[in-house]
Amino acid sequence: MTAESQAGGRRTRRRDGREGGTSSLLRAERRTAYGLLLPTFIILAVIAAYPFGRVVYSSLTNAKFASSQPTSFVGLDNYRTLLSFTIRELPPRLDEAGQVVRLDGRVQYESAVSVLPRSPQRYRQVFQFGLLGKRYVLGAISADFIRAVWDTVVFTVSAVALETVLGMVIALALASNFRGRGVMRAAMLVPWAVITVVSARIWEWMLQPTRAGLFNALGSYLGISDGRTDFFGNPALQLPSMIMMDVWKTTPFMALLLLAGLSTIPSEYSEAAKVDGAGVVRRFFGITLPLLTPTLAVALIFRTLDSLRVFDIFQVVLGNQRYSMASFAQDMLVSRRDMGLSSAASVTIFALIFVFAILYVRSMKVDTQ
Amino acid sequence: MRKILIVVLAAAALAAAQAQTVVTVAAGAVGQELELTRAAAARYMALHPDVTVNVLETPDLTDNRQALYLQMFEAQSSDVDVFQIDVIWPGDMAEHFVDLYDYGAREVADQHFPAIIENNTVDGHLVGIPWFTDAGLLYYRTDLLAKYGFADPPATWSELTSMATTIQDGERAAGNPDFWGFVFQGNSYEGLTCDALEWVSSFGGGSIVSPAGVITINNPKAAAAIETAASWVGTIAPNGVTSFDEESARNMFQAGNAAFMRNWPYAYSLGNASDSVIAGKFDVSPLPAGPDGSPAATLGGWQLAVSKYSKNPAVAADVALFLASYDEQKVRAVEGSYNPTIKALYQDKDVLAAVPFFGSLYDVFINAVARPSTATAPNYAAVSRAFYTGVHSVMTGQATAAEAVAEIEADIEDVTGFPTGQP
Amino acid sequence: MTRATGARPAGKVAVKVIGKALFWLLIAVMFVYLMFPFYWALVSALKTQPELIRTPATLWPAEPVLTNFKAVLGNDRFVRAMLVSTLVATCVTLLSLAAGSFAGYALGKMRFRGRSPSLYLILAMTMFPQIAVLAGLYAVIRLLALPAVPSMILSYLLFTLPFTVWVLTSFFKGLPDSLLQAAQVDGATLFQAFRHVLLPLTAPALVTTGLLAFIQAWNEYLFALTFTVIDPPARTVPVAIALFTGEIARQEPFGEIMAAAVVVTIPLVVLVLVFQQRIVAGLTAGAVKG
Repeated sequence: MTAESQAGGRRTRRRDGREGGTSSLLRAERRTAYGLLLPTFIILAVIAAYPFGRVVYSSLTNAKFASSQPTSFVGLDNYRTLLSFTIRELPPRLDEAGQVVRLDGRVQYESAVSVLPRSPQRYRQVFQFGLLGKRYVLGAISADFIRAVWDTVVFTVSAVALETVLGMVIALALASNFRGRGVMRAAMLVPWAVITVVSARIWEWMLQPTRAGLFNALGSYLGISDGRTDFFGNPALQLPSMIMMDVWKTTPFMALLLLAGLSTIPSEYSEAAKVDGAGVVRRFFGITLPLLTPTLAVALIFRTLDSLRVFDIFQVVLGNQRYSMASFAQDMLVSRRDMGLSSAASVTIFALIFVFAILYVRSMKVDTQ
Repeated sequence: MRKILIVVLAAAALAAAQAQTVVTVAAGAVGQELELTRAAAARYMALHPDVTVNVLETPDLTDNRQALYLQMFEAQSSDVDVFQIDVIWPGDMAEHFVDLYDYGAREVADQHFPAIIENNTVDGHLVGIPWFTDAGLLYYRTDLLAKYGFADPPATWSELTSMATTIQDGERAAGNPDFWGFVFQGNSYEGLTCDALEWVSSFGGGSIVSPAGVITINNPKAAAAIETAASWVGTIAPNGVTSFDEESARNMFQAGNAAFMRNWPYAYSLGNASDSVIAGKFDVSPLPAGPDGSPAATLGGWQLAVSKYSKNPAVAADVALFLASYDEQKVRAVEGSYNPTIKALYQDKDVLAAVPFFGSLYDVFINAVARPSTATAPNYAAVSRAFYTGVHSVMTGQATAAEAVAEIEADIEDVTGFPTGQP
Repeated sequence: MTRATGARPAGKVAVKVIGKALFWLLIAVMFVYLMFPFYWALVSALKTQPELIRTPATLWPAEPVLTNFKAVLGNDRFVRAMLVSTLVATCVTLLSLAAGSFAGYALGKMRFRGRSPSLYLILAMTMFPQIAVLAGLYAVIRLLALPAVPSMILSYLLFTLPFTVWVLTSFFKGLPDSLLQAAQVDGATLFQAFRHVLLPLTAPALVTTGLLAFIQAWNEYLFALTFTVIDPPARTVPVAIALFTGEIARQEPFGEIMAAAVVVTIPLVVLVLVFQQRIVAGLTAGAVKG
């Protein structure tokens, strides 16, 4: 069967089914469908409904975790605390003579504290940026959370992009038949199989800031570093280190799903195109990729979802130096006991994941009937 | 027939339940620590045949343990009766524990270090009986001090700085490029609060928030202390010290790559293990003092508290008081070098024979500075975070010490609403 | 390689050789990339305590020792934890695949109102961070008065089931309707069509999904820690590893943790591969060829 005849056949049958189907047949199909969905919904109703509702509800209250303090409804206050931010211009610092202070030729600015509002709630600096020759500061009530949102999104976009590319390369390589394929399949499973908490520790050990760590030892053997690179203490290296750890750990997830997707693509399609003289690259973009899109979309949705909720590696490796959204929520709950704020942070994560999921589904057109 | 069987079984179960009171103790998971607790539980059961004491291990990571406990309090679970709690938790968790004064702790309370009893007392209630204590110590390499002509460990931070510089330069020249003068806990976490509180306090800069609830951190002495510590980073301490915890520091010191280390007493027996390269080549002393202060050590350690949700609070309290009694603390001190919280044990000759350094460090333990956890409860975690984040920003060069202490003061003001003042 | 079609035979051979060499280079690079952290765990587990912290780090232990492995394997609780983990992860996988393939078939192949909202609703169930739902979940588990093992199985479905449903939906949707209808025309019942046509075709997807779900369940830590607090015999591997400690408080037995990582990972990978081949072979055996 060629690609064309199959696709054509599918189209006509679909149309036939829709036009010729009686309403009773459709009703029967609908009943069967609901029946098939029932187990899933029962399970989810039992385990997810209450925890789900409780998070949403407590995000609207001032509930304290593990406390007998009375709880009251506060509306959207928690969200206001979490998400309020402001952008203020920083005036240049002037000396007594009213001249702009310069250091090494660079204009010095007033401190952020002087321009950010103090009451009713205090705004803290998230970061400063320059635009059109002026300097601005972004301040927020929960500066840690705004920074966590930014960091988590950067982390997610970079990690997922890298994982997709690497996962695709590995899946394509493994889809071809070669000796030693079994060994490679095993190797591919290893990162995913290593327990998450332990894998964070392995990386922490490899990235130690002394030559007792693999990276610093290799760096100094090869003469490319002084063997004292501080991967977790240096703010510029923190996110790249996190991304490197996550990409290693979860590339297999991507690769396995894509490999399964590849195996369901009938080889006839590709063979036919080969006969037509299409090259490797054209065959990939013209045939393989489009047919793989539904699988890719699901893989992307779940990888993005997991990355936006990333918790373990931030918690284990960075502690309280820098938060992901979920480790912020955890910290709010456990050390601050602020269940309301923590729940609001979780709902924000939820909303962000939803936006990503819909974007994927829409842009990759996987949900069209 | 079946009915009868059920009735008989139910009656038997009831009888067994009446005969046996089960008390569950959540304790540390550490090998020896757990064994000692199990042995103590066995001794209690031998004395009280009608009580069964279960010892549950909980994860040794303090954060994990705290999260776990809170989860149980939130559910008001009666599954665990006695909790092993950190010295900074009594204020925070007080509402979930019974007042041990109601269960006979009054008679024994004054045997313990007063600072710990004060720390564990919330609104006049004793929420935890001290079990074992901890305090920051200075570890130093006796062989290297001798090699470079130093007779005694440093008494002040500036002495430490100059000694560390000399030794570090010497060892580097002798061919160890990985050698550093001083290591400590510099990561942005509770451990930095402990270390930095020692610096600030030893400079005479107070204890962040006074016991009376005044925010005292914004003072020149505190700023000078933090400034001094920041000057170590990259000179006598590795740049990476700003991401060090206890184990990173110990690993470096134990590999023979550091002359001085600030750490808790646990590193002592590990450093003297048979396969350790520094075995017998180091000793401990009180931490150095600031220019016009006296040495300070941050108080650590663990208490036993009885859950309010326990079905048998009286028996549970009895178990807790038994575990923390003179005899039991003595066993733990002799067999596991756990620092007792009972003053008299530091003069006990069996204890001193087993752990000689206890005698000389009595002063360190009795003068240990408590973190302001009880005064700032239930906001201690936020207060501590403000403090270590501020200190960390100075250590990584993102802020000056004067800016940082002002920022810390403002942050703590926001969280607690306490007045500000000088120490 | 694209140009090779028009080249002379000799050039063709050369291009082929270069292509092959590049392919093997790629495989080698991939292998090193996937394995080096695991290699480091293995090497660290074989080192003595002093060598573990020595600078500069040695790439292979000077005197490999098995103390860490002996400590791990001699730990009854750890061996038990591996059995519990296997049980929990297997149940979770089977339940997710069963419920998930029903739901996936309905969502991927049937027409009914509420299809799209159902998909999103199922996805929504898994979008909160674990820490946020833990308190609520703990309350549910206590209300149902479930022992630790069923609690873990049930709560892991929270993340494995939506994943299974979504993946299987996408795979079912990709299957040509013609095959299914052809089978039905042949007089097969819906179940037969499912068993002999759909199942063999989706076998790779089922096995892959099952595998990913299995390992996800195997690796879960937070729920397991909370639900097994008062039931030590029900502890799973990640919890057992977290409870590894040295003889002394605060000491972290890094070598033992690494040994445990190696001991847990290798049988898991081998088992998974063996099962995978068996299952794929079994499922595709009764297939009706399209």
